[in-house]
Amino acid sequence: MPDTVTLVIPADTAYVSLARSVAASMAARADLTVDHLEDVRLAVDEAVSQLIHDASDGSITIHFMVQGDGLAIEVTAPATKELARDTFAWTVLSALVDDVTATAVDGTATIALRMSRRQDA
Amino acid sequence: MSETTPKRPSRWTDEHRVREHALLAEMAGLDEDSPRRAIVRDELVRMHMPLVEHLARRYRDRGEAYEDLVQVGMVGLVKAVDRFDTERGVEFSTFATPTIVGEIKRHFRDRTWSVKVPRRLQELHASVTKAVERLSAELGRSPTVKEIAARLDVTEEDVLDALEIAQAYTTSSIDAPARDEDSTSIADSIGGDDPALEAVEYRESLRPLLDALPDRERRIVMLRFFHNQSQSQIAVAMGISQMHVSRLLAASLSKIRIGLEAAENDR
Repeated sequence: MPDTVTLVIPADTAYVSLARSVAASMAARADLTVDHLEDVRLAVDEAVSQLIHDASDGSITIHFMVQGDGLAIEVTAPATKELARDTFAWTVLSALVDDVTATAVDGTATIALRMSRRQDA
Repeated sequence: MSETTPKRPSRWTDEHRVREHALLAEMAGLDEDSPRRAIVRDELVRMHMPLVEHLARRYRDRGEAYEDLVQVGMVGLVKAVDRFDTERGVEFSTFATPTIVGEIKRHFRDRTWSVKVPRRLQELHASVTKAVERLSAELGRSPTVKEIAARLDVTEEDVLDALEIAQAYTTSSIDAPARDEDSTSIADSIGGDDPALEAVEYRESLRPLLDALPDRERRIVMLRFFHNQSQSQIAVAMGISQMHVSRLLAASLSKIRIGLEAAENDR
Protein backbone atom coordinates (compact mmCIF):
# COMPACT_ATOMS: atom_id res chain seq x y z
CA MET A 1 0.00 0.00 0.00
CA PRO A 2 1.57 3.29 -1.05
CA ASP A 3 1.86 5.85 1.72
CA THR A 4 0.27 8.65 -0.28
CA VAL A 5 -2.26 11.29 0.63
CA THR A 6 -3.92 13.66 -1.81
CA LEU A 7 -5.57 16.82 -0.63
CA VAL A 8 -7.73 18.99 -2.86
CA ILE A 9 -8.59 22.45 -1.55
CA PRO A 10 -10.29 25.49 -3.05
CA ALA A 11 -7.79 28.07 -4.33
CA ASP A 12 -8.52 30.25 -1.34
CA THR A 13 -6.08 31.29 1.40
CA ALA A 14 -8.61 30.24 4.04
CA TYR A 15 -7.71 26.60 3.27
CA VAL A 16 -3.93 26.89 3.44
CA SER A 17 -3.85 25.94 7.11
CA LEU A 18 -5.37 22.58 6.19
CA ALA A 19 -2.49 21.95 3.80
CA ARG A 20 0.00 22.94 6.50
CA SER A 21 -1.50 20.49 8.99
CA VAL A 22 -1.47 17.59 6.56
CA ALA A 23 2.12 18.49 5.62
CA ALA A 24 3.18 18.26 9.27
CA SER A 25 1.40 14.90 9.74
CA MET A 26 3.00 13.46 6.62
CA ALA A 27 6.42 14.78 7.65
CA ALA A 28 5.98 12.94 10.95
CA ARG A 29 5.00 9.78 9.08
CA ALA A 30 8.15 10.15 7.01
CA ASP A 31 10.02 10.30 10.33
CA LEU A 32 11.56 13.70 9.64
CA THR A 33 13.10 15.65 12.50
CA VAL A 34 11.07 18.51 13.99
CA ASP A 35 13.43 20.95 12.28
CA HIS A 36 12.60 19.46 8.89
CA LEU A 37 8.93 18.99 9.75
CA GLU A 38 8.58 22.70 10.49
CA ASP A 39 10.50 23.54 7.31
CA VAL A 40 8.11 21.34 5.31
CA ARG A 41 5.17 23.08 6.94
CA LEU A 42 6.57 26.48 5.91
CA ALA A 43 7.43 25.26 2.40
CA VAL A 44 3.91 23.94 1.79
CA ASP A 45 2.50 27.21 3.07
CA GLU A 46 4.68 29.11 0.62
CA ALA A 47 4.09 26.83 -2.40
CA VAL A 48 0.33 26.67 -1.91
CA SER A 49 0.10 30.43 -1.35
CA GLN A 50 2.07 31.05 -4.55
CA LEU A 51 -0.17 28.85 -6.63
CA ILE A 52 -3.34 30.28 -5.08
CA HIS A 53 -2.03 33.66 -6.12
CA ASP A 54 -1.28 32.50 -9.68
CA ALA A 55 -4.43 30.42 -10.14
CA SER A 56 -7.35 32.65 -10.92
CA ASP A 57 -9.82 30.19 -9.48
CA GLY A 58 -10.43 26.46 -9.24
CA SER A 59 -8.71 24.18 -6.83
CA ILE A 60 -5.23 23.31 -5.61
CA THR A 61 -4.20 19.67 -5.49
CA ILE A 62 -1.46 18.55 -3.13
CA HIS A 63 0.03 15.07 -3.24
CA PHE A 64 2.08 13.95 -0.25
CA MET A 65 4.19 10.83 -0.79
CA VAL A 66 6.12 9.17 2.00
CA GLN A 67 9.03 7.45 0.33
CA GLY A 68 11.87 5.27 1.47
CA ASP A 69 14.17 8.19 2.09
CA GLY A 70 11.80 11.02 2.94
CA LEU A 71 8.82 12.98 1.75
CA ALA A 72 7.85 14.18 -1.74
CA ILE A 73 5.18 16.82 -2.21
CA GLU A 74 3.58 18.03 -5.42
CA VAL A 75 1.38 21.08 -5.50
CA THR A 76 -0.58 21.72 -8.69
CA ALA A 77 -3.04 24.37 -9.80
CA PRO A 78 -4.67 25.60 -12.99
CA ALA A 79 -2.19 28.35 -13.88
CA THR A 80 0.05 29.20 -16.77
CA LYS A 81 2.88 30.88 -14.90
CA GLU A 82 5.93 28.90 -13.84
CA LEU A 83 7.45 29.92 -10.53
CA ALA A 84 10.64 31.76 -11.49
CA ARG A 85 14.00 30.96 -9.90
CA ASP A 86 14.84 34.57 -9.15
CA THR A 87 11.84 35.18 -6.89
CA PHE A 88 11.81 35.43 -3.13
CA ALA A 89 9.40 32.46 -3.03
CA TRP A 90 11.95 30.29 -4.84
CA THR A 91 14.71 31.42 -2.48
CA VAL A 92 12.53 30.52 0.49
CA LEU A 93 11.50 27.13 -0.91
CA SER A 94 15.03 26.10 -1.85
CA ALA A 95 16.29 27.09 1.60
CA LEU A 96 13.56 25.02 3.26
CA VAL A 97 13.67 21.73 1.33
CA ASP A 98 16.31 19.66 -0.45
CA ASP A 99 14.90 19.95 -3.92
CA VAL A 100 12.47 22.29 -5.67
CA THR A 101 11.19 22.07 -9.23
CA ALA A 102 8.59 24.23 -10.90
CA THR A 103 6.84 23.70 -14.21
CA ALA A 104 3.85 25.03 -16.09
CA VAL A 105 2.56 22.71 -18.81
CA ASP A 106 -0.80 22.78 -20.60
CA GLY A 107 -2.40 25.18 -18.15
CA THR A 108 -1.24 23.32 -15.05
CA ALA A 109 1.43 24.84 -12.83
CA THR A 110 3.32 22.49 -10.51
CA ILE A 111 5.70 23.07 -7.64
CA ALA A 112 7.40 19.86 -6.50
CA LEU A 113 9.28 19.64 -3.22
CA ARG A 114 11.45 16.90 -1.79
CA MET A 115 12.73 16.54 1.76
CA SER A 116 15.10 13.68 2.55
CA ARG A 117 15.30 12.01 5.88
CA ARG A 118 18.61 12.96 7.41
CA GLN A 119 19.55 12.61 11.02
CA ASP A 120 22.17 15.28 10.92
CA ALA A 121 20.27 18.49 11.53
CA MET B 1 1.84 55.29 29.50
CA SER B 2 -0.82 56.57 31.80
CA GLU B 3 0.71 55.14 34.96
CA THR B 4 1.05 57.51 37.84
CA THR B 5 4.04 57.32 40.07
CA PRO B 6 3.13 55.53 43.26
CA LYS B 7 3.85 57.12 46.59
CA ARG B 8 7.17 56.02 47.92
CA PRO B 9 6.94 53.33 50.53
CA SER B 10 6.60 54.92 53.94
CA ARG B 11 10.01 53.60 54.93
CA TRP B 12 11.54 55.94 52.39
CA THR B 13 13.20 58.64 54.45
CA ASP B 14 15.07 61.81 53.59
CA GLU B 15 18.18 59.83 54.26
CA HIS B 16 17.26 57.39 51.45
CA ARG B 17 16.57 60.31 49.18
CA VAL B 18 19.94 61.90 49.74
CA ARG B 19 21.66 58.57 49.26
CA GLU B 20 19.72 57.95 46.04
CA HIS B 21 20.72 61.30 44.58
CA ALA B 22 24.34 60.79 45.55
CA LEU B 23 24.44 57.35 43.92
CA LEU B 24 22.75 58.54 40.72
CA ALA B 25 25.15 61.45 40.46
CA GLU B 26 28.11 59.18 41.07
CA MET B 27 26.93 56.67 38.50
CA ALA B 28 26.56 59.38 35.87
CA GLY B 29 30.24 60.20 36.28
CA LEU B 30 31.53 56.63 36.02
CA ASP B 31 32.79 54.79 32.95
CA GLU B 32 30.74 51.91 31.50
CA ASP B 33 33.32 49.35 32.57
CA SER B 34 34.34 50.85 35.89
CA PRO B 35 34.12 48.24 38.67
CA ARG B 36 32.73 50.92 40.97
CA ARG B 37 29.83 51.41 38.57
CA ALA B 38 28.62 47.84 39.12
CA ILE B 39 28.58 48.41 42.88
CA VAL B 40 26.67 51.68 42.63
CA ARG B 41 24.24 50.12 40.15
CA ASP B 42 23.61 47.20 42.51
CA GLU B 43 22.87 49.45 45.42
CA LEU B 44 20.46 51.54 43.36
CA VAL B 45 18.65 48.42 42.19
CA ARG B 46 18.38 47.00 45.71
CA MET B 47 17.19 50.33 47.02
CA HIS B 48 14.27 50.43 44.59
CA MET B 49 13.13 46.85 44.96
CA PRO B 50 10.14 47.99 47.06
CA LEU B 51 8.99 50.10 44.09
CA VAL B 52 9.04 47.01 41.86
CA GLU B 53 7.18 44.99 44.50
CA HIS B 54 4.62 47.72 44.86
CA LEU B 55 3.98 47.85 41.10
CA ALA B 56 3.95 44.04 40.77
CA ARG B 57 1.27 43.83 43.47
CA ARG B 58 -1.07 45.80 41.24
CA TYR B 59 -0.98 42.97 38.72
CA ARG B 60 -1.50 40.12 41.16
CA ASP B 61 -4.44 37.76 40.67
CA ARG B 62 -4.29 37.93 36.92
CA GLY B 63 -3.00 34.44 36.46
CA GLU B 64 0.73 35.01 36.77
CA ALA B 65 2.83 34.29 39.84
CA TYR B 66 3.69 37.39 41.89
CA GLU B 67 7.34 36.27 42.06
CA ASP B 68 7.51 36.18 38.25
CA LEU B 69 6.06 39.68 38.05
CA VAL B 70 8.66 40.96 40.51
CA GLN B 71 11.34 39.27 38.47
CA VAL B 72 10.32 40.88 35.16
CA GLY B 73 9.78 44.18 36.97
CA MET B 74 13.39 43.98 38.14
CA VAL B 75 14.49 43.77 34.52
CA GLY B 76 12.68 47.06 33.97
CA LEU B 77 14.29 48.57 37.04
CA VAL B 78 17.79 47.63 35.86
CA LYS B 79 17.06 49.18 32.46
CA ALA B 80 15.82 52.35 34.17
CA VAL B 81 18.96 52.58 36.32
CA ASP B 82 21.11 52.21 33.20
CA ARG B 83 19.19 54.76 31.19
CA PHE B 84 18.49 57.41 33.81
CA ASP B 85 19.81 60.81 32.96
CA THR B 86 20.35 63.10 35.97
CA GLU B 87 20.24 66.13 33.68
CA ARG B 88 16.56 65.62 32.94
CA GLY B 89 15.50 66.91 36.31
CA VAL B 90 12.93 64.23 37.06
CA GLU B 91 12.86 61.98 40.11
CA PHE B 92 14.24 58.51 39.48
CA SER B 93 11.01 56.80 40.56
CA THR B 94 9.01 58.89 38.08
CA PHE B 95 11.38 57.84 35.35
CA ALA B 96 11.55 54.17 36.39
CA THR B 97 7.84 53.48 36.90
CA PRO B 98 6.77 53.33 33.24
CA THR B 99 9.78 51.14 32.39
CA ILE B 100 8.97 48.69 35.18
CA VAL B 101 5.25 48.63 34.37
CA GLY B 102 6.15 48.21 30.70
CA GLU B 103 8.10 45.05 31.46
CA ILE B 104 5.28 43.66 33.58
CA LYS B 105 2.71 44.36 30.89
CA ARG B 106 4.98 42.85 28.27
CA HIS B 107 5.17 39.72 30.37
CA PHE B 108 1.37 39.42 30.28
CA ARG B 109 1.25 40.10 26.58
CA ASP B 110 3.96 37.57 25.90
CA ARG B 111 2.28 34.87 27.89
CA THR B 112 -1.03 35.07 26.12
CA TRP B 113 -2.41 32.70 23.55
CA SER B 114 -3.88 34.40 20.48
CA VAL B 115 -6.77 31.92 20.48
CA LYS B 116 -8.44 30.02 23.29
CA VAL B 117 -6.30 26.94 23.83
CA PRO B 118 -7.41 24.19 26.20
CA ARG B 119 -5.32 23.82 29.32
CA ARG B 120 -4.26 20.28 28.35
CA LEU B 121 -2.79 21.53 25.08
CA GLN B 122 -1.06 24.45 26.77
CA GLU B 123 0.64 22.02 29.12
CA LEU B 124 1.46 19.66 26.29
CA HIS B 125 2.98 22.55 24.37
CA ALA B 126 5.17 23.39 27.34
CA SER B 127 6.39 19.79 27.76
CA VAL B 128 7.04 19.34 24.03
CA THR B 129 9.04 22.58 23.92
CA LYS B 130 11.16 21.31 26.79
CA ALA B 131 11.53 17.83 25.29
CA VAL B 132 12.66 19.26 21.94
CA GLU B 133 15.29 21.29 23.73
CA ARG B 134 16.58 18.38 25.85
CA LEU B 135 16.53 15.80 23.06
CA SER B 136 18.31 18.20 20.71
CA ALA B 137 21.08 18.57 23.26
CA GLU B 138 21.29 14.82 23.87
CA LEU B 139 21.17 13.73 20.23
CA GLY B 140 23.14 16.60 18.76
CA ARG B 141 20.33 17.09 16.21
CA SER B 142 16.66 17.93 16.14
CA PRO B 143 14.47 15.01 17.37
CA THR B 144 11.70 13.30 15.40
CA VAL B 145 8.06 13.33 16.47
CA LYS B 146 8.40 9.64 17.36
CA GLU B 147 11.32 10.36 19.68
CA ILE B 148 9.48 13.19 21.42
CA ALA B 149 6.37 11.01 21.87
CA ALA B 150 8.47 8.22 23.37
CA ARG B 151 10.23 10.60 25.74
CA LEU B 152 6.99 12.12 27.02
CA ASP B 153 4.99 8.89 26.88
CA VAL B 154 2.28 10.49 24.75
CA THR B 155 1.02 9.67 21.24
CA GLU B 156 2.58 11.08 18.08
CA GLU B 157 -0.75 12.80 17.43
CA ASP B 158 -0.37 14.63 20.73
CA VAL B 159 3.08 15.85 19.74
CA LEU B 160 1.75 17.04 16.37
CA ASP B 161 -1.09 18.86 18.13
CA ALA B 162 1.40 20.58 20.40
CA LEU B 163 3.61 21.62 17.47
CA GLU B 164 0.60 22.92 15.62
CA ILE B 165 -0.76 24.85 18.57
CA ALA B 166 2.65 26.47 18.99
CA GLN B 167 1.71 28.56 15.96
CA ALA B 168 -1.18 30.03 17.94
CA TYR B 169 1.03 31.58 20.59
CA THR B 170 1.30 35.32 20.13
CA THR B 171 4.30 36.21 18.03
CA SER B 172 5.87 38.37 20.70
CA SER B 173 8.78 37.22 22.75
CA ILE B 174 7.35 34.46 24.94
CA ASP B 175 10.60 32.71 25.40
CA ALA B 176 12.91 35.60 24.78
CA PRO B 177 16.00 35.61 26.95
CA ALA B 178 16.19 37.98 29.88
CA ARG B 179 19.13 39.75 28.33
CA ASP B 180 18.55 42.93 26.42
CA GLU B 181 17.79 42.35 22.76
CA ASP B 182 20.09 45.20 21.82
CA SER B 183 23.03 43.14 22.93
CA THR B 184 22.34 40.04 20.81
CA SER B 185 25.67 39.29 19.22
CA ILE B 186 24.96 37.13 16.20
CA ALA B 187 24.16 38.66 12.86
CA ASP B 188 23.61 42.12 14.27
CA SER B 189 24.57 43.70 11.01
CA ILE B 190 22.27 41.51 8.94
CA GLY B 191 19.54 43.52 7.28
CA GLY B 192 18.06 44.65 4.03
CA ASP B 193 21.50 45.51 2.62
CA ASP B 194 22.81 41.95 2.98
CA PRO B 195 24.77 40.93 -0.15
CA ALA B 196 22.93 37.59 -0.13
CA LEU B 197 19.88 39.49 -1.38
CA GLU B 198 21.54 40.36 -4.69
CA ALA B 199 20.28 37.23 -6.45
CA VAL B 200 16.63 37.95 -5.75
CA GLU B 201 14.57 39.78 -8.30
CA TYR B 202 12.29 42.49 -7.01
CA ARG B 203 14.75 42.97 -4.16
CA GLU B 204 13.84 46.62 -4.37
CA SER B 205 10.37 45.59 -3.18
CA LEU B 206 11.76 43.06 -0.77
CA ARG B 207 14.19 45.33 1.08
CA PRO B 208 11.67 47.72 2.60
CA LEU B 209 9.56 44.73 3.65
CA LEU B 210 12.54 43.17 5.40
CA ASP B 211 13.42 46.47 6.98
CA ALA B 212 9.86 46.80 8.26
CA LEU B 213 10.16 43.56 10.23
CA PRO B 214 11.17 43.82 13.88
CA ASP B 215 14.94 43.35 14.25
CA ARG B 216 14.77 39.84 15.58
CA GLU B 217 12.36 38.62 12.92
CA ARG B 218 14.52 40.13 10.18
CA ARG B 219 17.62 38.40 11.54
CA ILE B 220 15.81 35.08 11.72
CA VAL B 221 14.53 35.42 8.14
CA MET B 222 17.99 36.31 6.83
CA LEU B 223 19.71 33.50 8.73
CA ARG B 224 17.21 30.84 7.65
CA PHE B 225 16.66 31.81 4.01
CA PHE B 226 19.86 33.50 2.98
CA HIS B 227 22.49 32.05 5.30
CA ASN B 228 21.44 28.43 5.41
CA GLN B 229 21.11 28.18 9.19
CA SER B 230 18.69 25.56 10.50
CA GLN B 231 15.81 26.50 12.79
CA SER B 232 17.61 24.77 15.66
CA GLN B 233 20.85 26.62 15.03
CA ILE B 234 19.00 29.92 14.96
CA ALA B 235 17.14 28.98 18.14
CA VAL B 236 20.42 28.37 19.97
CA ALA B 237 22.01 31.53 18.61
CA MET B 238 19.05 33.71 19.57
CA GLY B 239 18.35 32.03 22.90
CA ILE B 240 14.75 31.13 22.02
CA SER B 241 13.00 27.80 21.38
CA GLN B 242 12.98 26.15 17.96
CA MET B 243 9.18 26.31 18.01
CA HIS B 244 9.38 30.01 18.54
CA VAL B 245 11.74 30.38 15.56
CA SER B 246 9.28 28.44 13.44
CA ARG B 247 6.41 30.66 14.55
CA LEU B 248 8.32 33.86 13.83
CA LEU B 249 9.37 32.58 10.40
CA ALA B 250 5.78 31.75 9.48
CA ALA B 251 4.53 35.15 10.60
CA SER B 252 7.34 36.99 8.80
CA LEU B 253 6.87 35.08 5.55
CA SER B 254 3.21 35.86 5.58
CA LYS B 255 3.90 39.58 6.09
CA ILE B 256 6.48 39.58 3.28
CA ARG B 257 4.18 37.70 0.94
CA ILE B 258 1.36 40.20 1.46
CA GLY B 259 3.79 43.07 0.91
CA LEU B 260 5.23 41.59 -2.28
CA GLU B 261 1.76 41.00 -3.69
CA ALA B 262 0.81 44.59 -2.94
CA ALA B 263 4.01 45.81 -4.63
CA GLU B 264 3.28 43.62 -7.65
CA ASN B 265 -0.21 45.08 -8.00
CA ASP B 266 1.28 48.57 -7.94
CA ARG B 267 3.69 47.76 -10.72
